[in-house]
Parts: sequence; C-alpha cells; structure tokens
Amino acid sequence: MDCREFSEKHLAFVDDTLAGIELVRMQRHISECEGCAKQDSKIRRALLLFRNLPAIEPSTGFAERLAARLEEAHENDLLRETTTRNLRRGAVAATFATLASAAMLAYIGSTLYQTEMTRDVVMPPVVALATEPDLSPITTSTPAIVTSASAGLAIWPVALFAEEAPVRFAHSRFELAKLSR
Amino acid sequence: MAANIVRKQISPAVGPTVRERLQAMDDSAVVTAFLGGEERAFSELVTRYQTRLLNFVYRTIGDREKAEDLVQEVFIRVYRHLHRFDRSKKFSTWVYTIASNLAKNELRNRSRNPLVLFQTVQKNFQDEDRPLQFEDTTSRPDDMYRKRHLREVVEESVAKLPEHHRHVFVLRELEGKSYEEIAEITECNLGTVKSRLNRARNSFAEIIAPYVD
Repeated sequence: MDCREFSEKHLAFVDDTLAGIELVRMQRHISECEGCAKQDSKIRRALLLFRNLPAIEPSTGFAERLAARLEEAHENDLLRETTTRNLRRGAVAATFATLASAAMLAYIGSTLYQTEMTRDVVMPPVVALATEPDLSPITTSTPAIVTSASAGLAIWPVALFAEEAPVRFAHSRFELAKLSR
Repeated sequence: MAANIVRKQISPAVGPTVRERLQAMDDSAVVTAFLGGEERAFSELVTRYQTRLLNFVYRTIGDREKAEDLVQEVFIRVYRHLHRFDRSKKFSTWVYTIASNLAKNELRNRSRNPLVLFQTVQKNFQDEDRPLQFEDTTSRPDDMYRKRHLREVVEESVAKLPEHHRHVFVLRELEGKSYEEIAEITECNLGTVKSRLNRARNSFAEIIAPYVD
C-alpha cells in the first residue's frame, strides 16, 4: 500500500468500516510509514477533542418560549384557514355570479337574434268566413242635427238635449257606413 | 390543540402511564400516536430531539441564542407539517433535514449581511455570554481554565471550516449519522459526502494541531 491509497481509505479506516484484509493492510502501512502514522494520530486526536465537546442544553425559558410560539403558530393557522375558507366562499359566489351574468347575457343575445330573425315573418292570409253585415242607411223624415259636447259636461243632459233638439235643419238621409269608412 | 400541548409540556401532571408508554415507543410509533390524536406525543418528540438539534445547529452556526430560535422553528415546522411526513422514512432524518436547511439559510443570510456576522461573532467571544454550566466544577481553577480554553479552541477551529464541510463534519462526528443519512439530509450524493468529510477531518486536524501539540 502506498501513502495515496492510505489517504484515500483513511475515512473508512477511522470509521472502522474497512473489510478485514484492507484493515490489516492499513495497519501495516502505519507501522511502516511514519508520516501517515503521524497524520492518522493527528486526525484521531482532533476528532476525539471534537466528539468530547460538552453538549449544550436548552436554556431554562426554552420550553415556555416554544410553547408560546406553538400556540401563536396554531392561532395563525386557524386564522389562515378561516381566511382561505372565506376566500373560497367568495370565489364560489363570484363564479356563480359570473356564470349567472353570462347566462343572462347569452339569453338576451339569443332573444335579440331571434327577434331579428322573426321580424319579416309572413303570416298566412286570413280567410273571413262571416259575411259582412249589410248596413242599412238611417232614414228619417226630419233632418237630424249632429252635435257634440265637451268632455267637461255630464253625458245625460247632453243626450237629452240632442234627443229633444229640433231636427228639421239636417238632411233626412244620413249614411253612417260611408262616414265611418 | 397547540395550547393543550403547551400546557402538558409545561405541566408535570402528565399521566405517567401514557408518558412511559410514549417513552418506550420508537420515533415512528410516537409520530403515529400524535397523528392519531395523542397530543402528548409531540412533547415526547421535543424531549427526544431538542438537545440533539440544539447542539447540531449550534455547532453549525456558532451562535447559541440563534440556535435556540432555529430549533424552535424546527419544532414549529414539524408540528405544522407532520401530517405530510412520509412515514416510510426515518423521522430523525426528516427533522435533521429541516434543521440543516434552516442552519444553511441562517449562514447564507449572514454572508449577505456582514454586520450581523460581526455582531454574532463578537457576542460569541464575550466571556459573560458563554455558558459555564458544562464546566466540571470539581476541577481546580487552572484545570477549568485550560478546559474552557480548549473548548473555545475546538469551537473556533470548527467555525473555520468551510460551511459545507462543517455541516457534514458535525452531522458525522457529533450526531453520529451514517453517510447515507448525511447524503439525504444535505441533499448530496454519497461520494460528495465522503469527500467533504475526509477534507473536513484533515482541515480540522490541521487547524487544531498547533493548540494541542
């Protein structure tokens, strides 16, 4: 074994994870090479010092501070959970409102489109089955008077007045059908 | 739920049977118990890991106060995301991965803000800020001084290692993690882990040699 190989395998040598034959070769190299033996003992001594450093213990207030921080974290989690739930609810409501608006717009759009389409629909011709009544002309021997009354007057006095008024000034034949057409 | 955990953690009135039962369980079973509604299981996880994580983070970042904050942050993340933990994997690897990422972020933030680094380093080297409770009080004063000085030298030497070497070094030498676990925690391949560890060991030995020879 040379020094390079010794150096490469030194990690496993210190950790005692080398196979039996390798271990023997390493030990033999130490007994032969003063430099590697020195390096080996230097590392082992240093590691011994480090491994024997006194452990530090948590300070007296550690448990209380941890307890307070855990409680605070728990409260924050609850708050965050509530906020998330509310936001989720809001998002659902907003989605619903958006969908409703979209549906309404779609309905209005389709209605307008349909109106546009049905504007020029031609209806079938109407066939009149009843015969037009024969309008006979009003015939009176005396001339009639046509009068009107303003809307401010009561209707019955006007009607009586019209009935009793002398009718001799008007022409006796008056065709209503012609006038109404 | 958190409040209950808190109360039970502080209060000694935890039912002895449940506590003993939890203590006898492995990590996976404790996690299952917590997810099944046994709130005291979280306290058991805290008890198991707080010191180990504190030492790991402290040796990585070199600031005790900040290390405590980060370890608390680890537990908060564990508490929040335990339901997402893949129980086919080791809980310890998962928790160390969280701690490792937080420590890395802390070091990255420091490198972006040299003022913070300076203040932290300065505070770390003030004697009154350093914990004394780990000294052997039965020793003579000169022995205590020597031990304390040696500890400082070791800590300073570790701090001199490059960040990614130190990370692997602490996980292996202090926490006793396997190469595979370290690879998983640091998200590196096995070859990189071995290479970094080898370099870290050699560098550390070189740095500390003048003080111990």
